[in-house]
Amino acid sequence: MPVLTRKNAWNNNGTFSNPDLLWYAKAVGVMQTRPLNDPTSWWFYAAIHGQSISDNPGWGTIPPPPNVPTTPLPSSSLISQYWDQCQHGGWFFPPWHRGYLYAIENILRGIVAQLGGPSDWALPYWNYFGPGNQYQMPPAFAQKTLPDGSANPLFVNARYGPNNDGNIFVPFSWGINQNCQSNTVYTGRQPAFYGGNTTGFAHFASGTGSLEGNPHNPVHVAVGGQDPTTGQGGLMGDPDTAGLDPIFYLHHCNIDRMWASWNAAGNSNPTDPNWLNGPNASGNRQFYMPTPAGTPWLFTPAMVNDISQLNYTYDNLTLGITPTLVSQNALRLRNFGLSVDDSKLLNAKMDENNDSELVGANSAPLKVDAKGAQTNVQLDSSGWNNVAKSLKTTTMAQRLSENKLPDQVYLQLEGIKGKEDSVVCSVTVNNQYAGHLSLFGLKNASQKDGPHGGSGLTIRFDISSIVDKLELSNALDINSLEVHIQPVNVIADGNELTIDRVSIYREEQG
Amino acid sequence: MNLPEKKRTLISLVIFGISILVWILLLFNPGHIMTVQHCHISDSGPSAASLRMLLQMNPFSSLMTGWGLMVVAMMLPKLIIPIQQIYASSFKRQRFLSTILFVSGYIGVWMLVGAFMVAIILGIHLYMPGSYIPAIVLGVIAIIWQFSPVKQQCLNRGHDHWTLAAFGWPACRDAILFGIMHGVWCVGAGWALMLLPMLLPVGHNLAMILVTFIMLSEHLEHPQVPRWHVDFRLRLFRYLIAQTKIKFRQAL
Repeated sequence: MPVLTRKNAWNNNGTFSNPDLLWYAKAVGVMQTRPLNDPTSWWFYAAIHGQSISDNPGWGTIPPPPNVPTTPLPSSSLISQYWDQCQHGGWFFPPWHRGYLYAIENILRGIVAQLGGPSDWALPYWNYFGPGNQYQMPPAFAQKTLPDGSANPLFVNARYGPNNDGNIFVPFSWGINQNCQSNTVYTGRQPAFYGGNTTGFAHFASGTGSLEGNPHNPVHVAVGGQDPTTGQGGLMGDPDTAGLDPIFYLHHCNIDRMWASWNAAGNSNPTDPNWLNGPNASGNRQFYMPTPAGTPWLFTPAMVNDISQLNYTYDNLTLGITPTLVSQNALRLRNFGLSVDDSKLLNAKMDENNDSELVGANSAPLKVDAKGAQTNVQLDSSGWNNVAKSLKTTTMAQRLSENKLPDQVYLQLEGIKGKEDSVVCSVTVNNQYAGHLSLFGLKNASQKDGPHGGSGLTIRFDISSIVDKLELSNALDINSLEVHIQPVNVIADGNELTIDRVSIYREEQG
Repeated sequence: MNLPEKKRTLISLVIFGISILVWILLLFNPGHIMTVQHCHISDSGPSAASLRMLLQMNPFSSLMTGWGLMVVAMMLPKLIIPIQQIYASSFKRQRFLSTILFVSGYIGVWMLVGAFMVAIILGIHLYMPGSYIPAIVLGVIAIIWQFSPVKQQCLNRGHDHWTLAAFGWPACRDAILFGIMHGVWCVGAGWALMLLPMLLPVGHNLAMILVTFIMLSEHLEHPQVPRWHVDFRLRLFRYLIAQTKIKFRQAL
């Protein structure tokens, strides 16, 4: 069988003139006619990612289209085998979603062929980082009807966009970027490591990698947006409803393309058997997807490690970022007046296992409502002095000769809890922009009886550049940092966030 | 978790090391601190005299020491992840103190419960020395408890993730409270299983090893919605099988 090629959804201007989109719409329509308890139905596949059938609000309160069924339920054994599998907040995020896409693509292709379409049909991807207006959702998804006048299965009511006005695009003003493509190591947490950290036995998923942290998470939330009157998120903004929106699979196709491009650029996936063998290696449930015949396909990350194993490719496997002539570390050192050849920095190894130390924290849990929140993070003199020492220009050259780089400094928002995943906030430290807070998965992570035990989300921002500026302006001798968290969309009453602790960590490099 | 793998591993090794040492002590059972001795005089029936004799042969302090060692041997490995978390989220100078306070709070709860448990054990030995009936009755209760929503609730709360205060007294207070609450939920989940080996006239050590395996395994499972549910919670077993297969494949 020839290698299948996944192509850009924006071909033919992202309209139904693009046959990939037209056939996708028709095949989605067929899957949507199948009942919830059919493993090859649209609804069953959405539930594999996550479902909220018995919740309120949940699947039963979703405004149509689509008309989302909540019955007939499949058998309990099918539910426990397939549903609520999605892997977030750890190193299985990329391979699980690759297998998920591959499996639904097989079902869709079979339907396309039955409908008289091309037998080599493949999922298109939405590259929101593409040129021109590709940051906007391909227009075919906003049409209420197909060219033949029938209802468009790609049209979704609860898809509100970043401004909650139905205009769907990826807002780069939220800090959404593809900087993750410049990472070189898979295993570890955002923003320096690509694929996510090991999960092991810890039940709290705080090991989000940079591909998942940005762009994956904020794109979900931006596309879903919020109902402007209630502040309730759109389908894409919640893992339990995201798979119901057909744009989901084009977003993930792009994430998969980015991972494949990252590999094509020479970056390696883990070789650890605990990754290659999947969560089964630590006694967790295995990855299963229904085949077009409805039978289970058991897969492991080792089986989806490379797209060639699955017989597909992309028409664009460029990394997506402009190659930089010097590394981030070399650029950082230039700010301190040190011009260092990158080759001299190679020995200062990038390693998730570098020592990390708490150097400051606020004193009480923080509540974030529609007005936002502010807190002072008190710095511990002992730990903060270590940061200051690593940034002293007088000793930096000496430290470099010992292969030690200035500390990385992180702002960490620990134990973020709430009910509404669609809330987005901007975060500043001493009035300097640190990043946007995107909370995809918040509701599930906050549930006491959920898999994460109610630990909430823990998100960190690299604030090294802010700390560097303080040092360069001789203002590092301080006792506290002021952190502002400001919502950029709606936080309705009852949807306030709580943050257990706002902390500062230093991480040695080298 | 902001803790390098080498430090996580070190914490695991230290805890397993302490646990194994105490296990060795328990299995050798010096001074019979782990088992209640009784003589045939007490078999004639419960009386003040027989209670005195039982306590003479098994001083309460010795029984509590045995109970404490049993808790340390069996339960310490369950504290690995919380201790790693405390280390990761505390100032360097606070890490050890907070860990000690957490473990003290946790063991304190088990010791308090242990006083009642030991009293029950003594009472049973007084009234029904050498009998299997108490163990059988408790075994039935333990099975019912095992599959109950209350047990699942306790297991879930045992996964509560505390974010501790960073500075001064509040950091110490949070560490000890975390330990106490972790202990409360752990007792709620495992009281019947912990008591069971103590009621067996024979096979005490084997039962203790088996119970430890069950309790560790169920602690490793992710939280679930509480409900009546026959679930053997065999994650540790699945993990060992998977790791054996991986090692076997690597060796080939």
